[in-house]
Amino acid sequence: MITDFEYFAPKTLKEALTLLDKYGDECKVIAGGQSLLILMRQGLVAPQYLIDIKGISELSYIKSEGKQGLRIGALTTHRTIEKSPVFRDKLGVLTEMENRLASIQTRNWGTIGGNICHADPAGDPAPVLMALNATLRMASLKGDRTMAVEDFSLDYFETALEPGELLTEIVIPPVPPHTGTAYTKFNVIESDLATVGVAVSITLDSGDGICQDVRIALGASAPTPIRAKQAEAVLRGKKITDVLLKEAGEIASTEAEPISDIYASEEYRRELVEVLVKRVGKEALARAKQA
Amino acid sequence: MSKYSVIGTRVHRVDGPEKVTGSAKYTFDIVLPNMLYGKILRSPHPHAKILNIDTSQAEKLIGVKAVVTGKDTLGRKQGIWRRFPELCDEEILCRTKVRYIGDPVAAVAAIDEDTAEEALDLIEVEYELLPAVFDPLEAIKEDAPQIHDGVELNINVTRHIEWGDVDEAFKKCDHIREDQFKCSSQAHVCMETHDAVASFGYDGKLTVWTSTQSSYYIQRLLADMLGLREGDIRVIKPPTGGGFGSKFELDSAQFCASVLSMKLCQPVKIVLTREEEFTATKRRTPMYYYLRLGAKKDGTLLAKEVRVITEGGAYTAMGATALYLTGFFSSFPYKYPNYRYDGYRVYTNTATTSAMRGFGAPQSTFVGESQLDMMAEDLGIDPIEIRRKNGMTPDYEVPGQAFIQSCGLHQCLDKIKEHIKERGKLPPNHGIGVAAYGFMSGGIFNWFDTPYAFSAALVRINIDGKVDLFTGACDIGQGSDTTLSMICAEELGVKLEDIRIFSGDTGVCPPDLGAWGSRETLMNGNAVKRAAADAKQQLLEFAAAKMGPNIVYDFDIKDQWVHLVDRPERGVSYFDIVKEAIRGNDGEAIIGRGHYTPHRKGMISPAYSFGVQAAEVEVDTETGKYKLINVTTAHESGTVINPVGIEGQLEGAIMMAGGYGFCEDQPMDEGKILNPSIADYKLIRSLDMPETKILEIDTYEPEGPFGAKEAGEGLTNPTAGAIGNAVYKAVGVRINDLPITPEKVLRALKEKGKQGK
Amino acid sequence: MKKELRLTVNGQPYELYIKPKTLLAEVLRDKLGLTGTKRGCSSSSCGACTVMLNGMAVKSCSVLALQADGGELLTVEGLASGAELHPLQKAFLDHGAFQCGFCTPGMLMSAKVLLDENPNPTKEQIKEGIDGNICRCTGYNSIIRAVTAVVKGEYKEEK
Repeated sequence: MITDFEYFAPKTLKEALTLLDKYGDECKVIAGGQSLLILMRQGLVAPQYLIDIKGISELSYIKSEGKQGLRIGALTTHRTIEKSPVFRDKLGVLTEMENRLASIQTRNWGTIGGNICHADPAGDPAPVLMALNATLRMASLKGDRTMAVEDFSLDYFETALEPGELLTEIVIPPVPPHTGTAYTKFNVIESDLATVGVAVSITLDSGDGICQDVRIALGASAPTPIRAKQAEAVLRGKKITDVLLKEAGEIASTEAEPISDIYASEEYRRELVEVLVKRVGKEALARAKQA
Repeated sequence: MSKYSVIGTRVHRVDGPEKVTGSAKYTFDIVLPNMLYGKILRSPHPHAKILNIDTSQAEKLIGVKAVVTGKDTLGRKQGIWRRFPELCDEEILCRTKVRYIGDPVAAVAAIDEDTAEEALDLIEVEYELLPAVFDPLEAIKEDAPQIHDGVELNINVTRHIEWGDVDEAFKKCDHIREDQFKCSSQAHVCMETHDAVASFGYDGKLTVWTSTQSSYYIQRLLADMLGLREGDIRVIKPPTGGGFGSKFELDSAQFCASVLSMKLCQPVKIVLTREEEFTATKRRTPMYYYLRLGAKKDGTLLAKEVRVITEGGAYTAMGATALYLTGFFSSFPYKYPNYRYDGYRVYTNTATTSAMRGFGAPQSTFVGESQLDMMAEDLGIDPIEIRRKNGMTPDYEVPGQAFIQSCGLHQCLDKIKEHIKERGKLPPNHGIGVAAYGFMSGGIFNWFDTPYAFSAALVRINIDGKVDLFTGACDIGQGSDTTLSMICAEELGVKLEDIRIFSGDTGVCPPDLGAWGSRETLMNGNAVKRAAADAKQQLLEFAAAKMGPNIVYDFDIKDQWVHLVDRPERGVSYFDIVKEAIRGNDGEAIIGRGHYTPHRKGMISPAYSFGVQAAEVEVDTETGKYKLINVTTAHESGTVINPVGIEGQLEGAIMMAGGYGFCEDQPMDEGKILNPSIADYKLIRSLDMPETKILEIDTYEPEGPFGAKEAGEGLTNPTAGAIGNAVYKAVGVRINDLPITPEKVLRALKEKGKQGK
Repeated sequence: MKKELRLTVNGQPYELYIKPKTLLAEVLRDKLGLTGTKRGCSSSSCGACTVMLNGMAVKSCSVLALQADGGELLTVEGLASGAELHPLQKAFLDHGAFQCGFCTPGMLMSAKVLLDENPNPTKEQIKEGIDGNICRCTGYNSIIRAVTAVVKGEYKEEK
C-alpha cells in the first residue's frame, strides 16, 4: 500500500528544482508514474514528499533544430514520440521502439525521461538513444550539465543524477548521411520487456561503402545498457559483410554480462545477443544503404 | 431448417447488458453499510510449527476491530473429499503448523484496507522452522520431512486403474516405447481474484457474497467449519470474474471473512491481492509422467502402462480428483485392450495443487499425444491414421469404467486431415501438429458426499407468462445462465426473453454441485429441462381439458403457441393457457421441478465430448522462438445449445491451453513462487493470439438435454500436445517438459546439430 | 494534507477532497461509486482499470488522481447515451466478446479510444489497440470481430 506523502505539483522547472533542493533525500520525483507507482504500491518506495513534475509543460516538446539535431523534452510521453511525424524520415527507429514499448495505456501517460531515469537495464529507449549517440541534459539550481546516454546509467535502477537534479532533455545529434539505425528486442510475448535488446547504428562513407561509424548498444544484457565496443571494432572501417556481422555478434555476446533469471539463462541471453546483433546489424546496414 | 426455436440460435448473453455497461456488481464491487475490510497474514515459511501468535499490538491499532487466529475457530479441518475424513486436511487458519509459503495464520478486520494491512505488520508470529521438501520425488523418500501426521512417505493419495493384462500384452507387441515427461503447474489468473463479503447477523445467520463456482459447496463447507447449520448460511454468487477450477473450494477469503464477521456481527470484505492469488490459492497439478506404449507394426495399440507422481502441495483439496482423472484420461481417446495406471499424489511444502480447467487431462493429453506421434513416426504411420485406427467410436465401453455413447472423433479426424491437406506444402521451419482428446461432461463420483441430487431446478410460471428459473448452477463467465435459460425456453416452448434466471443463491435456488468438471450444460441442463417439462405438462393438462381433442392427439408448446403436435394450426396462445392453468390451480403459480443425478453410466461421466486440434507453428531456428500461427479445432459436443457460447469457450480455451504449452509457468525456489504478478507470469495477449478456426461436427448425445454435452473444458486438453507435435514437425526436436520455451527449443536444436541428426 | 481535486467524469463535474496518495481508480470506484472500472492486478499489467482521460486510454490504477486534476474522464458508465448503447457495446453483445465480463469495461474503453483516434484500423492495429488488456476468457478473437464490425459501419448510429 502507498504510504501518505506531502504533494507538490510545480508548474515550472524552476519551481521543481527549488523543491528538490529543499527536500533533498526525503523527496521523490514522479512524472508519468508508470514505473514509480508500482514500487510505491508495494511499499518499496515511500517518500515523505512527492514532487509531481508531470504538469511542467515546458519540458514536453519535440524540437527539430536542423543542424543541431533534435531535442526531446524529458516529459514527452512515449505515445507522443510514437505518433510524431518528425522522426519518420531518419529516426524511424524511435517510432518503432515506442510502438512496442509496454502498452498504449502506459505510453499515453509514461514519459521518456521517466523511463530513462528509472534505469531498468531492460528498458527500450536507452539502447536506441545510445545507438543514436544521444546526450542528456540535466538541470539543478546550480546550473545545467550534459552527459552521454551511455554514461547515465550506473547500475540496476541507479543513475548519475545528483541530488537536486532533474533530467530535462534528450538531444539527438543530426543523423549523418548514409546512416541506418534499427532496434529489436527478444521476448516471447509481443509487448513484453526485453529478455535481450539490441540497437545498432551504422554510418557508411557512401551509398554502398565502408562502415565509417557504428554503435552497438545492448539492453537487458548487463546491469546497465552497454556499448559492445569490441564488436563495433570488427565492423568499423570495413565493408560490412554477413561474415563480419556474424563475427560482431559472436564478440558482442562475450562483452555482455547478462544474468540468469526465470526467463532466460545467462547462456541463452548470450546466444540471443549473438543472433540479434547480427540481425539488427544487417537491418541497420540495409537502412544505411537506402538512406 | 432447425427444428428448434431457441437452442442453436445466436443470442445475447442474458447477463450481457449489465456486463457491457459496467453495471454488473461483482463481489469485488460490493459495499455494505457498516462494512469492514479484512486482510490475511500468511506464513513466510514453507514448513514450520507455530509456537505463538501475539496479536495484541495489532488489536491496539486505531481502526482495527478484530484480529483472529486459528484459536478463534472450532479447530476443524475441511476438504472437498468429504467422504474420506483423512483427506479433509486443511484448517485454512492454521493452528499449530504451516505447510507452505502463504498458509494463513491470522486475519484482521479494520475500517479500511490500508489499516488492515498495517495491522498485519503488527502481528508477531513465533515460528519454529522445520525442514521442508518441494519436489515430490524427494518428498516420497524415507528421510523426507513428514508434512502431515501419520502420512508415511508423504503419499497423500494413490490411484490404480486397470483392465486387461498389460504385461502379457506387451509381449505381443511389435514395438514398445517408453517415455518420460514433466508437466508444469499453471495459474488460473481469473481477472477477479478470490473475494468474499461475509455478513453474520444478530439472528445467528450468515450471508456470504462470493466469487464462486459453487455456492452450495461453499455453503456446506462453511457449515462444517463454523458449526452452523447449512440452512443458516446463505451463499450468494454475484456475477463472477472467472473460475477455471480455482473457485469451488472453500478459500481463505471466504473463511476468514466469515470468522471475523461472526466475531463482530458486521459485514467483512476480503479481496485477495493478485500476489496472494498467485501464491496462496490453488493451482494446476504438476506431474511426473512415465508412459509405456506397445503397438503392432500396423499401428494397433495393444497396451499402455502409465505411472504418475504428482506434486500435491500442502493439502489434498481436489488434487485427488486430478490424480484420478489424469489416469483415466490417459486412456483417451483410444481403445486400449490392456491398460494400467498407477498414480501417486505426494504432499510437498508448496502451494496446494488442485483443479484447473482440464483437471489432469491437459497433462495426460500432452504426454499421450506426444508419445503417440513418436510411436507413429517409429512405425512409419501417418499421425492421423494411427489415431483413426485406434480412436474411440460411438457406443464403446471403456472396460469396466465408462460408457461412451455419442462420439464424433472419427469425423473430427477427417476434418483435420482435410484442413492439413488444404494448408498444402508448408514453408521451411513451419509445422502442423495434431492432438486428439476426449473429455467428460460432469463427474459421477460423489466424494463430496452430498445427499442432494447433483443438479436441480425450479420453474415458476407467473400470470403474465413470464418464467422464473431457479437453479444452483453457477455462471462464472462460461455462460450457463444463458445456456440454461435457452434450454428452459426451448422445452417450455417460449422465447428466451420470457425466462428470467436466478442462479447460484443457496437461499433461493435448489442445490447444484457447481460449475466444474464441465457439468452444467449436461447435468443442470437436464434438471432444467425436466423442470420445464414438468411445468409444461401442467399447462398441457389444462390445454387438453380446454380443447378436448381426440385422445390420439397430444400437445406441445412452441413459440408461445400451445397446439396439437399433429395439427399445429389448432391451438391456443401460451399466455391464455397460463392464466387458465393458474386459475385452475386454485390461484397458485405453476411450478415445475426437475433434478438430475447420473445413474448406471459407469464410474466417471455420463457423456464425453471429443475433438482433434491442429496447431501450426513457425520456428526461428536461431533463437528457438516459435510463433503460434493457427489453431484449428474440429470438435463435437452433441447438440449445440449456445453457439456464441461454444465459440467463446473454444477460443478462450486456446488462449489458456496454448499458454500452458507456450509461456505460462510458475518457477519456484525453495517453495517460493518467483513470478507472482501479471507482469512476470506470461500470458497470451491479443498480439500473441493465433488465428483460430472452428470446425463443428454434428453429434447427438442421448444422455444430454436435447442431445448436448460438454464444450469448454475438453478444449483445454489438446493444445499443449498439438504445439509440441507441431514444433517437432517444424524442426525435428521434441520437448518433453512444459512449457515449451524458446530456450528449450534452441538447446534441443543445438543438441540435434551436435549429434548430426 | 488533503488536496482538492476537480474532475469531470462522464460529463458530470465533481469536487473532491482527497489524500494525495489516492489513485485515480480509487477515486472513481470508492469515492464516486463508479464500480464499472475494475482492478485486476498490482503490477499495472492487466488493463482492467483502463479509462479515457483527456481523450487518452490510461490505466487508472497507475495515475495519481491529482495528476488528473481538471481533466475529463470517460468510464464505461459513460459509454451509453441514456438507454441507447454505444455501438461497441452492441457489437460486444452480438459477437459474444466477453464472458465473465471483468475485463470488459477496460476493454471497451481501449477499443473506444482506438476508434476515436483511428476510425479505420487494420486488424493488426485493433490487436495493438487492445494488447494492454488481458482477457482470460475469450481468447481475444471475438473482441477483434466485434470491433471490426463497428469499423465496418454495422452499427451506424441513426441521428
